[in-house]
Amino acid sequence: MAATDRFDAIVIGSGVSGGWAAKELTEKGLRVLMVDRGRMVEHGEDYPFDGKPAYEIPARDKMPAALAKRDYFALNGWVSPATQPFFINDRLNPYDYDAPNKFNWVRPSVVGGKSLTWGRWSFRWSPADFEANKREGVGTDWPIRYDDVAPWYEYVERYIGVSGGKENLPYLPDSEFMPPFPMNVAEVWLKERLEREFPGRKLINARLSNITEDKPEQNRSRCQKRAQCSHGCSFGAYFSTQAVTLPAARATGRLTLRSDTWATNVEYDPQRKRVTGVRLVDAKTGRAEVVPARMVFLCASAMSSMHVLLNSRPADSQRSWFHSNGALGSGVMDHIFRVGVSGEIPGMTDLVEFGRRPGGVYVPRFRNLVAEELPFKRGYGYQGQAFRQAAAPEGFGAGMKHAMREYGPWRFSMGAFGECLPYDDNRVMLNFDKKDRFGTPLLRFDVTFRDNEIKMMDDALEQGQLMLRQAGLTNVTGGRGAHVPGEAIHEMGGARMGRDPGTSVLNGFNQAHDAPNLFVTDGSQMASVSCVNPSLTFMAMTARAADHAVKQMKAGMI
Amino acid sequence: MIDRREALAGVVAVFGANLFAPLARAAAYQPNPVINTGPPAPVFTAAQRAAVAALSERVLPTTDTPGAIAAGVPEYIEHMMGDWAVDDDRATILGGLAAIDARSMADYKVPAAKATAAQQDALLTLAMNDQLTGGLPFFTAFRQLVISGYYTSEVGITQERHYLPVPGDYDGAYPYSKVKRIFSS
Repeated sequence: MAATDRFDAIVIGSGVSGGWAAKELTEKGLRVLMVDRGRMVEHGEDYPFDGKPAYEIPARDKMPAALAKRDYFALNGWVSPATQPFFINDRLNPYDYDAPNKFNWVRPSVVGGKSLTWGRWSFRWSPADFEANKREGVGTDWPIRYDDVAPWYEYVERYIGVSGGKENLPYLPDSEFMPPFPMNVAEVWLKERLEREFPGRKLINARLSNITEDKPEQNRSRCQKRAQCSHGCSFGAYFSTQAVTLPAARATGRLTLRSDTWATNVEYDPQRKRVTGVRLVDAKTGRAEVVPARMVFLCASAMSSMHVLLNSRPADSQRSWFHSNGALGSGVMDHIFRVGVSGEIPGMTDLVEFGRRPGGVYVPRFRNLVAEELPFKRGYGYQGQAFRQAAAPEGFGAGMKHAMREYGPWRFSMGAFGECLPYDDNRVMLNFDKKDRFGTPLLRFDVTFRDNEIKMMDDALEQGQLMLRQAGLTNVTGGRGAHVPGEAIHEMGGARMGRDPGTSVLNGFNQAHDAPNLFVTDGSQMASVSCVNPSLTFMAMTARAADHAVKQMKAGMI
Repeated sequence: MIDRREALAGVVAVFGANLFAPLARAAAYQPNPVINTGPPAPVFTAAQRAAVAALSERVLPTTDTPGAIAAGVPEYIEHMMGDWAVDDDRATILGGLAAIDARSMADYKVPAAKATAAQQDALLTLAMNDQLTGGLPFFTAFRQLVISGYYTSEVGITQERHYLPVPGDYDGAYPYSKVKRIFSS
């Protein structure tokens, strides 16, 4: 990069948040450098397993156990040969934690970040989500409310396309929807019974970033029901940086994109209280340089952004420039995740599914919506689907083979995502005794689930089974796995927004209290985490922050 | 521009096999380790390989569609054993094969691979009913390997079942009567 290059803004990270920052800032006229530590992946041409059946994927898409354990341990067995190219090698890119308090930090290895492999469930947070901390006296109050974000939800939803059904639920606001993926016959059956047996509880269509109508102006086609989303989708049927935000940013002619580039820290002028640029390391050569910019959007994903912020410090100090009040790194959260229930739905054996939807149905949060005598705060939602698999005869031989030509009964299974509370002593820090291959101290996790989270998981398991049994399912089973924080891949917090600069890192427009030209718009901004999936909120908050940033820049304040 | 990995690979060539371990590891630096898609690392003896093929065909035999051998299941199993399995998994399979072969020699005077189909079925039935040493754990694991290998093969996905590469639409109440082969997942 020539020393004469000058950028109005540097965007660190190119995932859900970074892609939106690049799109918004370039469309508003700024010259933007977006960097990502991952390798370049171009839409379509770099999806090697798009549309491939198992026999065309190495090892029939089964990951060698030894390789997964050695190199991809954070994914805890979920990585497959088709998705492996999108994930980072944990062995070569270590992080740190105390053995009993393990953290499974799932990181991507590509431009586009986790937007290529995400779950695609897309929800607005509710008014109550932004009010709960204050109402309950938990953590710190949000400096914004639902109404501050609502127009930006609408803005991003219209652009990306979100499929779902209108429900008018105060605790789960509707989006600007494309038509939902329909429920199958067994889910319709379950909805009717569950809602009758449990007044107030709902079973609704999934809300997904998979589109059900074409978006020709974006060269995107509606979902083709292949259910191979995480291989990359050449149809552009779900939101990813590659399919949606990167083409928009590139179309402005004002985007410079550098892959294979690690941001180790931002440079800071303590007199002017401004960031002045970003220190970048070329992953291939190891060469470091500082690239100046008028402002920085830090969108590296929550914990990677924490890593950058914690490592932004005076040369002679281990304390970050942004750690003046002690809040930086505190309040790290994830969602509860390892609770699942399933059972058999009787009847309807003359009907099957044609096609493979990218998602099924949702049981929105029903706990603590009004004052309840429960041993835990907040709540959880259930994501699930009904399906039929091949019959499972016993034995072997021609009889078994031909018996497997029939479908088994309808089954339904669902898993809970629940809200974790913010605890100041759930935090990340740097370990100065261990360094990565670029000489940066490792990020160290000290994060555990507490009593509230454990009791919520117990309740989710009990209620999940109760709902299925009472709705008339048979052979209902449920389980609660040992949940390692990070496994929901909804890690958030650490640079929370707040009203009080003494107890928070960012203001209500994602600006660092200590540097108004530094915006942090990924999951690290969160003061609480709702129980619904967060990516849509990252998008809305990023677009909102970019709007504010450009207004401030034009007003000469940045 | 020469990258670090290529430079170190050159160093490896100079020092040959005696390279100091950390240097060797650095030279092998690969952000995305490559999964072996070539021939499986040999796990079985010729006799064991023959037994695996014969027994897998008895689990999913040729009928009006191809069986396990035509679907490449024996190669898949050796892949799984060579590249996937840990030692305990291998012991389950190799131990079970030995027990079946021993019983075949005792009962039929031939190794299992040379026994008749009916005799092989009888041997598998003994394993299934845990009437051989290590029989049931072997049968359970072996049967899983055959089924997963078969239904992820081209034969399994496109001939035994009906593959919809691009369904295009979704119907959650599709008449079973219109299904000739169940859909591949």
